[in-house]
Amino acid sequence: MSASFEEKSVWIQLGALVVCGSIYGAIAGRLLASGVREMPAYAAIFMIAVVVMVVFMIVAYAMVALSGRQEGSDERDRLIAWRSEHNSGWVLATGVLTGVACMVLGLENVWTANILLGSLFLAEGLGLSLRLRYYHKGV
Amino acid sequence: MSIEQVVIRNEIRTLRTRANEMSQQDLADRVGVSRQTINAIETAKYFPSLEVAFRIAKVFEEPIDRVFVCAFKRR
Repeated sequence: MSASFEEKSVWIQLGALVVCGSIYGAIAGRLLASGVREMPAYAAIFMIAVVVMVVFMIVAYAMVALSGRQEGSDERDRLIAWRSEHNSGWVLATGVLTGVACMVLGLENVWTANILLGSLFLAEGLGLSLRLRYYHKGV
Repeated sequence: MSIEQVVIRNEIRTLRTRANEMSQQDLADRVGVSRQTINAIETAKYFPSLEVAFRIAKVFEEPIDRVFVCAFKRR
């Protein structure tokens, strides 16, 4: 069974997230390990990763749009999106609480920012993975 | 109070065959959902809303209980 436009869209978003997260994670990890604590350095990497993600998504969406018919989302797509967000929200909540704990404990801002970013990436990744699972296993 | 288990199956595949081998895409276009959603309904991976269920029944000009068949089983 070929995938719907919505499912292909989820694959594109997951691919873009993995590419963007890998670029940021690899470079930011090295900076953290080498003792760099200035936020502008991380902000620059983040901006580059976001630009790469946007370009990746534009190219992928254009290819999908040219290769087949586009359909809007229907009630099943909306239910799948809602259920996956419902089941992945705890990751972001945990990251936010950990970030708050870092602030309370007086850790450097760079750690708080990266924990928040990491939890955002993980929550999005889990949400998109769950959507793909629900598309294949049923909801 | 004993609660009975509800088992819902559907006759969409049969009704499509009777309707001159209507394709899933044709049915999806007439109901207003994607072909993949029709496939998921047929294979019981997704149970549609009442609105979509009634739309499917209307396409086949059948009462809804001829399209979606419900059985109650004791747990």
